[in-house]
Order: sequence, then C-alpha cells, then structure tokens
Amino acid sequence: MKGPALHALGFLSAWGAGVGVLPADARLAAAGRPVLSLGRPERDGERFRRTTREGLLALAAVESALEDGGAHRLAIAGDRTALVYVTAAAYAPSNQRFIEGRGGSIRFAETAPAVVPAEVAIELHLSGPYAIFLGGPPATLRGIWHAAGLIADGECDRALVLGVEIFEECEGLYARSGRLCRRPLVEAAACLWLEAGQGTLSLESGRDGAGETGTDLRRRLGETFCCEPLAALDSWRRMDRAGTLNLTGRWRGETARLVWTDPMPRPLLAATRREEP
Amino acid sequence: MAATPLTAEPVAIVGAGVVTPIGGDLDAFWAALDAGIDGLSPIERFPVDDLRVGRGGEIKKLPLDSDLVGTPCRASRLLVAAAQDLRARVAIDATPARVAVVVGTAVGGVEELEHALHDDRGARRAAAALYDSPAHALARHLGARGPVVTVSTGCASGATALGLGADLLHDDAADLVVAGGYDVLCRFVMRGFDALRALTRDEVRPFDRRRSGLLLGEAAALVALRRLPDASQERLGTLLGYGSASDASHISAPDPEGRGLERAVRAALRQAGVAPDAIDFVSAHGTATPLNDPIECAVLARVLGERRRAVPVNSIKANLGHTMGAAAVLEAIMCLLASRHGLIPPTLNLDEPDPACDLDFVRGAARPARPRVSLSTSLGFGGCNGALVLEGAV
Repeated sequence: MKGPALHALGFLSAWGAGVGVLPADARLAAAGRPVLSLGRPERDGERFRRTTREGLLALAAVESALEDGGAHRLAIAGDRTALVYVTAAAYAPSNQRFIEGRGGSIRFAETAPAVVPAEVAIELHLSGPYAIFLGGPPATLRGIWHAAGLIADGECDRALVLGVEIFEECEGLYARSGRLCRRPLVEAAACLWLEAGQGTLSLESGRDGAGETGTDLRRRLGETFCCEPLAALDSWRRMDRAGTLNLTGRWRGETARLVWTDPMPRPLLAATRREEP
Repeated sequence: MAATPLTAEPVAIVGAGVVTPIGGDLDAFWAALDAGIDGLSPIERFPVDDLRVGRGGEIKKLPLDSDLVGTPCRASRLLVAAAQDLRARVAIDATPARVAVVVGTAVGGVEELEHALHDDRGARRAAAALYDSPAHALARHLGARGPVVTVSTGCASGATALGLGADLLHDDAADLVVAGGYDVLCRFVMRGFDALRALTRDEVRPFDRRRSGLLLGEAAALVALRRLPDASQERLGTLLGYGSASDASHISAPDPEGRGLERAVRAALRQAGVAPDAIDFVSAHGTATPLNDPIECAVLARVLGERRRAVPVNSIKANLGHTMGAAAVLEAIMCLLASRHGLIPPTLNLDEPDPACDLDFVRGAARPARPRVSLSTSLGFGGCNGALVLEGAV
C-alpha cells in the first residue's frame, strides 16, 4: 500500500530520551538490575493526581513526539487524528494492584488496556479512529500498518502509534514466568506520528524467524517488548539514511516484517539532518 | 492492508461457532434466542459471597475435552470450544501460513494472573496472564501459522476484531481469517463491575424505564472470514463495513452525547457504501445501564432519522449477560441468523420502554422479519466505540 511519512517520533526509555543515549551494552550497564524503571512523570493538575504511571508515560511519549515535530498539541486535536495503541503488558501493574486489593476497588476501570490511550485521547482531544493491539514487536508493526491504512483510506489525516511498556511493579511475576532473561527489562514509552507519504509499505508475517534484524540495537536497548520497533525507527532516522527501512519483530514464535520505502520525505530528512549535532 | 478506498470490498462470513451461557453451539444459541431463554444464574465457579451481586451468564459445563487445549486457562478453553463448533461447520482448509487469527478481549487471561498471585505461583500461569495468550492457544489448536492478532478495545473488542480480520483479507495477508471475541467470568471482573455499582440485583432490562444495570456473562464466538470470490454461496452473510472512533471524554463512561459512537456508525456505513435508509435492523449494545441506553438511542435516532420508529432494534444482553469481548461477535452472528431464519429475537424484560429510548424495539416475542442489512453497535471502557454493517445471506 501507499507508505506514510514519518512526521515525528518521541522515544523515551529508562536510559533517557531517544536512542542516542543508549549504552553500548544494556546488560552491562544495568549492572545486575533485572528491571530499569522510567519512574512516574510529574504533572500538575488534579486530573493527573490519580492517573496511572502508564497513562502518564503515554502522555509524555505523545508530547515528546509533538516536540520532535515542532508542533503544538492543537495540531493533532480532533477527529482527523487516529490513535493506535500497542502494548504487551503495560496493563499488568494495574491488574496486579486491583487483584491484590491495593488502590481501592474504584480503580477497576484503570485495569483495561484501553484506558491508557484514553488518557491521551481525553487530554489531547483525539476523537478519530481507534485501535489497540496487544502483543510484542509484531503487534507494533501491525499497528503501524493499520495506522498507514487509515491514512491511505482517507479515514484520518494523521495517525499516532503509541507504545508503552512498564515492568517495575510486576518484577516478581516476570521472574517467575521466565521473562527475566539475559537482557534487562527496560521500561519505554514511544509515539510515532505518521502523515500521508509517497513511499510504499508492506507487511509480512510468518513463523520462520528468518531475517531478524536489530540485534545490535537490542543489545544496547535491553528488552522493551512492543517498543523495540519504535526504537529501531528512531535509530534508523538518526543514521541519516534515505531509502528503504526494514523492521522485523518476533514474539511467541511469530515473525513480522515491515518494509517501508521512503519513510522520511526529503524535506523532513533535511530538517532532521540540520538538527542532528 | 491494501490501499482500500473508503468503500471496502465486502468480506464473506462463511460460518460461525460459539459457546455461550444459553447454548454450547450455534444451533443451541439461536434456538435459545428465538425462544427468549434467560441464561443468567447464580455463579458457582468461584466465590461471590462478598459481592453485592453474584449472578451472571456462567457456562456451567464446557462442551470440550480438556486434553484438546493443554492448558487450565478458561479463556483459552472457551476459544477452543467455539473453534470446535466452527470447525464442525466450516473447513479451515487454507494453507496454514495463510490462516490468521484475530480475537478481541476485554480481560484476556487475567484469571490466570489471579491464580498466579494467589494459589498457583508456578511459571506457567504467570506467563499465561498476558492478554494475548489465549489467541495463541487458539492458533495452535487450529494449526494456523499466519498472523495472530489480539485487540482490546474494551467491550467493543469483538467488533474491532471482525473489522481488522476483514482488513487482513483486503491486504492479502491471509486467505482465511478466524476472527472473534471472548471473555470469561472471573472474580477479577465481577469484583470490578460490582465495585462500580454497574451490576443489577434485578433482571437485566435493556431500554426499560426500570432498568438498573447489567449482569456479566462469559462466552466465545468466532467466525470464518474469506474474500467474497473465494467463498461458496453457502455462507452466513457478509461483513460490509466497520468503523471505530474514540470518545475522548471519560475513561469509563460514554460521551453524554454519544458523539464517538455516531462517528463510528457513520464510518462503518461509509465503508459499507450503505446509506442509513438501507438499514433494516439494529442490534444495539443495550447494556441496560441507566447511562448507556438513552445515549445509544439518541445516536440511533440521529442516524436513522425519520425511520427511527420503523427500524426494529433489539439487545440480547438480557439473555446472556454482557459477554464483553464476545458481545459484538455474538450480536453480529445473531443479525445474520435473523436474516437466515426470518426472525428477530426479542429483547427480554423490556416491559415499559423508557420514553427517552424512542425506537421500535422488538420485545415480547421474536418478530417475523428478514433483515438484509443490519447495524451492530458497541461501546467500551476507554471511550472505545465500534460499529459493524452486515448483510444476511437472504
């Protein structure tokens, strides 16, 4: 299908903002810590006093994308902006808290994965098309694909693909489920802003596991589940490239591969080059 | 997804399979709807003594050999039970790599998290607590090796799953898509809705002036989707369009004016290439909560315009309870079965329609009618709204 243009991207992780701050080796940099937290963003206002950490991080990621695009929040308000949320497990802390009876029963609504993008939609007045994909990196690639389709079909003018993963509160569960592997679990929140573009986009999925990319990035980043492809995008654009981008993601035996030609139109690429130190 | 125009190619719904509180397969489900059976009962599978309300649409016995699933996860078992019913009706005969699975859920495998935190601290249940686990169990059962997708737009999840399943066919990402929804009744969700005071101690009474809330139910519902040219004439119907929109107003309550739902409905009609005056029947979300029903009716009245009192509307949530991720799929299947059988199931317990809900409700008994084009509406936590436009194989 017609490929979208990468208009802006905000990527936050426990290492800092952007992939430029990643260590050479996440495992060594973690120094034995199995989980690296992004903490709880501070925000003023009564509305945010009880907002979940994952909701605040989602909002911070979108604001990071706005900053990256040099745009005011009004630029994305309204029903012509689609919101696509992806996560593998950001709902787990709220679920655990509710099951353990902490935080009061009234917090049940917060256990729904849909509530994280809802916090963003409410704050930024995003009332366009909507989808939520659950899973690892293939879910993110499918989210990008879906968002691109909404733009190509004229259902929206722009789309935000928002990914959030947090782990700190459920460290014990991850330890038991065997999810604590050689790489540390690194919390991340990222937002990709897409607009209509001139390239092409294709998505394949299968179970062969061949052609996996991003090993070096993964070694530097750690395990971020669904946020990994968004980190790869940030890395790619910082390498001052034009042309074709290949993104691969694996999860539960499924491999998804996104091939995206010309994601950075020349004016955007030129702007990015000017801003790079 | 291919660069589909605003009006998308219709997708064939080749067949369906279900497991519900009112019937363990598609035939029993329809027979119970037609007869106006109420499947709500005291919950027996887990303790509810400490809750205000302990009733719901519980499936007392799964029509399933547990060895077929290989997991104690009830959500996975519900999905596999529905898949068995589907496979009894439809051959899943595409190349495995071209068979996709797309399911919607509101609470996923959260019951496994309850077990992992309370009574079984083994690794397997903790790993199964991720919401996408049941979809992968279903894919393994089907031998599907194409995309496995889990979506979670609250109680609109089933509608989202059908819409995205159709997209996979439009995009040539699969030749056959098993799409649907599921959710289980467990203490987690019962405690939550009980705490929200959303559950009624009375009967579930959609659109009735005495309505006082919903009851929850559990179910799984699946359909097999194919591109129209690949499908035989012996199909259940056609998915013409899907639309979604965010309310952007509240995390758990619908927008007071239903603006998001209206945008979703109009988007679905646009994708279907169908004008509002072509709608023959509406399967409403109809939860029987004081808030939902008048908002939804106001939206339907705006969409239907002068035909608001001429288009039959029902809700089947008084039969089943609110089955969350399965609800929209069961309601879509019901629309198509209504076309097939020439009967629209009644809305149970709707004795005194709320004057604020001024539509043509089917109540009392099934109404003889053979709707060609149906609209199905869904709303969920997070301000998620979904709508489906379906065509029966009449």
